[in-house]
Amino acid sequence: MQHLDHDRLVFLALGESQAEHGETDHLGTCAACRGELQALQHVAGLGAETQGLRELPEPPEHIWQGIMAEINAAEALPSLTEARRQSTGAGPTGEPPAAPGAAVPIGAGRRRRWSRWATTLVTAAAAAAVGVVGTLAVVDRDRPAPQQAVLASAPLAAYGTTPKDANGDARVLTDGKVHLHVANLPNVSGYYEVWLINPKNMEMFSIGTLRSRSGDALLPLPPNVDLQAYSVVDVSAEQYDNKPAHSGESLLRGALTG
Amino acid sequence: MRTGATVGHAPRKATRPVTAVRHEPDPPPPDDLAERFRAGDERALREAYDRYGRAVLHLAVSTLANRSDAEDVTQATFVAAWLGRDTFDPAKGSLIGWLLGIGRRKVIDRLRAAARETRVVETVRQLPEPAPTGPDPDAVVDRLVVADELARLPDDQRRMLELAFYDDLTHQQIATVTGVPLGTVKSHIRRGMASLKRRWEVDGAAPGPRPAGLSGAR
Repeated sequence: MQHLDHDRLVFLALGESQAEHGETDHLGTCAACRGELQALQHVAGLGAETQGLRELPEPPEHIWQGIMAEINAAEALPSLTEARRQSTGAGPTGEPPAAPGAAVPIGAGRRRRWSRWATTLVTAAAAAAVGVVGTLAVVDRDRPAPQQAVLASAPLAAYGTTPKDANGDARVLTDGKVHLHVANLPNVSGYYEVWLINPKNMEMFSIGTLRSRSGDALLPLPPNVDLQAYSVVDVSAEQYDNKPAHSGESLLRGALTG
Repeated sequence: MRTGATVGHAPRKATRPVTAVRHEPDPPPPDDLAERFRAGDERALREAYDRYGRAVLHLAVSTLANRSDAEDVTQATFVAAWLGRDTFDPAKGSLIGWLLGIGRRKVIDRLRAAARETRVVETVRQLPEPAPTGPDPDAVVDRLVVADELARLPDDQRRMLELAFYDDLTHQQIATVTGVPLGTVKSHIRRGMASLKRRWEVDGAAPGPRPAGLSGAR
């Protein structure tokens, strides 16, 4: 007997009709037809189990924030590794910089999560905006987007035991970003993170990480951020330690004034 | 009876056959998300998350006992996908299939780690039986892939298949309920089934190599 018609196999798989005598005999001997029927039956079974999969709940926004934080950290790693090499070496040598994408020991297992209060501060829409443009854009110091007006600014000064030559400034631009300039940050074994702090209750949230000891970055703010409350800009030294909270080691601080 | 042949077109649905006649809104049109993702467009990452994050999370939540583990796996899946986007080949399968494949491996890693922990605890405490295991990740991936394809089918094919799958109607009953001629019902179902099967073969977890140690009753 020749192979069963494919349409026929589909209908048998759906239980639309029973196999007739000749068909049963053929299926008993033909592995190809039997395999196809079994595959179709399996797919029909899967199809029946898809009910309810249409309306799956959306994942919570903090997962997205974690994704962006982890990606930003991973992409910032090569330059930080380079900074560390230079700092531990005997001053600037003629050594070539680490190749981008070179094996980095810490990156893969690293996982950062925003703490719960941070996620409550940031609405889903705001976080989406942060996420999409979350990667730090390094801007040219000589041309700091002259068309942007400054809504508020803060000179940043060395905090605590930070060497006094460390400094910087933060300027909140009309497009909702903070233009951050830092200079002479002390070398750290981890990385730098930028925070907005409410000085009344010391609540805070992270607005991004920095790649280098001196330079500029544009950090997007959540559009609903209350700069009256979260008025202190803080740059901290962070370790790759899986702890998303502020390390407590502030390097620079300054208060925004509008 | 309509004649637009669907058999043999590319599994990625880049070229859905125009069977015309109807003007129903066609769900997810072919787009370039996969290509943009691979090219490193950050907006594509967010779009992929918006579209497929729930499927990846569903895979993790339904196979892992711990909600926090499931969220970790979802996060790690998208991070790994983004950092490894160079290895994604849109010609070999869909983006959601690729993402679910990454998620599936991470789920299996977690399950193995949990099984190791359980064994240690059992050895220490001399407990009798291990905790019951959740659903097989491969089966969950297969369901999600089939559900995605079902959602992409032309409306009439999808409607007929849903009546057959969910309501267990015969083709004759479907014809009666919908007022569509029996021959047309049959052809919609035949084409829809062919698309589902092809997609399952491309993106499903089962046809590929099975991981050792996770038998998964199928």
